[in-house]
Amino acid sequence: MSLKNKKLRPRDMANKDAVLSPIDDLAPLPAPYDTNGLEPEFKPMKPEWAEKHCASLDGFIALDTLKRPETKEEEDEFVKKFLSGLEKLFSDSNARGLQPLKLTMEFCAKCNTCSDACHIYQGSNGDEIYRPSFRVDVLRRMYNRYFTPGGKLLPGFTGADVEVNWESIARLAELSYRCNLCRRCAQVCPMGLDNGLVAKEIRKLFSQEMGIAPTPVHAKGTELQLKTGSSTGLTKPAFLDTLEFLEEDIEERTGRKVKFPIDKKGADVLLMHNAGEFITWPENPAAFAILLDEAGIDWTLSSEMLGYDSVNYGIWYDDFQAKKVAMKHFEVARKLGVRRIVVGECGHAHKAIAVAADRMASAEQRVPVESFLPLMADLVRKGKLKFDPSKNDFPVTLHDPCNVVRQMGIVMPQREILKVIAPQFREMTPNGVDNYCCGGGSGFAIMSSYNFGDFRDKVSARTKWAQIINAFKDEFENPEIIKYVCAPCSNCKGTIRELLKEYKATANYNVQYGGLVELMVNALVSMDKPYLEFLED
Amino acid sequence: MIAAYVFVIIGLVGFLVFTAVKAWKYSHMPVHSRVDLYPVPGEGNGRGAYGGSYFENVNWWERPRPHNFMAEVWYIAKEMLFILRMFENQRSLWWASYAFHLGIYVMFGWSILMGISVILYPAPEFWIIGCNIVGGVGFALATLGAILLLIRRCTTDELRKYTTPQEYFNLLLILVTLLTGIASWLTAADPFEVAHDVFTLNASAELPALVVVHLVLVGITLLYIPLTKMSHYIGKFFAFHKVSWDNEPNKADSHVAQAMRREAELGVVKNEWAAPHTHTDGPEK
Repeated sequence: MSLKNKKLRPRDMANKDAVLSPIDDLAPLPAPYDTNGLEPEFKPMKPEWAEKHCASLDGFIALDTLKRPETKEEEDEFVKKFLSGLEKLFSDSNARGLQPLKLTMEFCAKCNTCSDACHIYQGSNGDEIYRPSFRVDVLRRMYNRYFTPGGKLLPGFTGADVEVNWESIARLAELSYRCNLCRRCAQVCPMGLDNGLVAKEIRKLFSQEMGIAPTPVHAKGTELQLKTGSSTGLTKPAFLDTLEFLEEDIEERTGRKVKFPIDKKGADVLLMHNAGEFITWPENPAAFAILLDEAGIDWTLSSEMLGYDSVNYGIWYDDFQAKKVAMKHFEVARKLGVRRIVVGECGHAHKAIAVAADRMASAEQRVPVESFLPLMADLVRKGKLKFDPSKNDFPVTLHDPCNVVRQMGIVMPQREILKVIAPQFREMTPNGVDNYCCGGGSGFAIMSSYNFGDFRDKVSARTKWAQIINAFKDEFENPEIIKYVCAPCSNCKGTIRELLKEYKATANYNVQYGGLVELMVNALVSMDKPYLEFLED
Repeated sequence: MIAAYVFVIIGLVGFLVFTAVKAWKYSHMPVHSRVDLYPVPGEGNGRGAYGGSYFENVNWWERPRPHNFMAEVWYIAKEMLFILRMFENQRSLWWASYAFHLGIYVMFGWSILMGISVILYPAPEFWIIGCNIVGGVGFALATLGAILLLIRRCTTDELRKYTTPQEYFNLLLILVTLLTGIASWLTAADPFEVAHDVFTLNASAELPALVVVHLVLVGITLLYIPLTKMSHYIGKFFAFHKVSWDNEPNKADSHVAQAMRREAELGVVKNEWAAPHTHTDGPEK
């Protein structure tokens, strides 16, 4: 164990160490991962990565667009731009983020109550840089040094002691991507302050002023979505082909005829999926189609630009990108004349369109938005879907996506459904609004460049992984018993998929994962064959 | 003497004015993006208790949105009176913090009693005994809490490395003010007489140097608190009520919609960001 990692202070951000806080000892995992040797190793960092980027925070690189300067002029320009962005962050240019930001910057008592609520701080076994308060204190000290009278006149007295240079700025940029923005820290703050939100504000500074954001989130994320219609690069013709293929595949596999309604004007429901579902987990949109048809809902998908991809990566790093994407989503719904948008199993898409976009435009420009969860729970409650729960007679646990639960307050509908369809349902501890993030939140699920995937799988997802193991404590090691992690969110699902693969949990212990609607369809009385692929054998 | 009296009054007025100015500034900031964080205790239909919201309803925008005002008041009262979140999540620091804050609350009550004493002057004996008990408890708790907080901030590594010299100064200023107060009222003067002299600006009264020092420190502390983060009594209100719990949908007739329309007319939201994509409606050119 490196004591240095536990002893770092905010002002050390500017020091000359090759790696400020190298990852070493991590929080222990529960049995059998304490002894089975199945935990993957970290990939070694290549020296050329550090020469090109900033690997000097903890040895990981999230920001592949952050390049080391080659000349003194480039370095000076970088510092100048950062300070300019820092000033704008606290001005009317950031009007919609100003109040929460200023409150956290001004009133933090530095009691560190937030630390123990953070799954990354926990997972790293208490490395100082991962405290939610550490990164915010670095920002505070930098800001005070340049922009407050106290900090300018008496920097030593007011603690404005973080030197602003390329290394400290780049480390701060990287550090803003060591937070999943799950905001669990804010739930425990005695002042009600929000260090998670400030991590996002730091990301905004780098993106909106300096054009620095991870490629999977910006260039291959929001930009690609605005250009092609989807962050997956899926174009309209490819999307229509995919649907056709899906209809055939479902019929072949289950004997069930499914028809996806496309661009149906005036439908009650415009269902919006994360387009990744069509490509990676097609059984999920197919399950939605089966359930909505069986319940007699008047619904449609959209094939318009952005209409078939509900994701909005902008909410993780850039207000402008978030607004552009959200406005396109509303435009699609308005043109179709639907009564409501229903968001499928994608957590951040829920928050983006229902909460974040709520104050981006007027009521006339928007269309009412609802989660699929209350809709499905309502159908279950009204008996529009008939279930045989014995079809799901295996242990099931539920992951609560932070965006849907802690940040939208949708807690009970999913539980209501699971109690009907899964006789062996059990909660994780803690759960509901107190849940832990999957470790893939705020873009981590799609960020795997260089060695960042290792950080996600071994550090940020560590607490969730321990929760999953503990939820199946009695039967985890028995491969005869199927264990199902229900994760009704694409990015959470992607993270859990990586966990099960990297820790070889499916291969060795028969731990499966998927969404909620697949489990619902599997339990439908009307289904002749199992819907979940792992039950087919 | 009169200067010390005036200074205390200036301190009191300054405290109120600076507090009001800061609260006004926070209340007049532009409408912020929604950043709901659940549980929101005021959510009706029992949802506040488990962290649920109106989003759990089908067609939520067509339904009434019941608000449980009492649940919200109860939550914030527990948080203010007992610092519940710290009690639940960081008990070891809570003892010191709670003693300090409870002491301040009690002393606030004592100050009001002393104000009434000026009106009653000379106050009846039962009143004097009551005031002395309240003041004694307040001074003892606040002083003990301040000392414990200082010790914790000096000795616990995870607190020490984040604490700035100014934050030590803040605690020390309050501690010295409290200690000079204790010394003054126990050894040098009668607080009832001094309170009466202060508020009647009685220039003929003779005051020991210790009491003068204490009164000046009281004035300085009162002026200083609202200018620093010790004014978190303001921040806490906005952080809870106006940020985390602000889940009011932007409906056409809502006050959020009205405020945003006003801001649009006034051009409150500016865009001075430099990255090219912040100046296009679609993808970067």
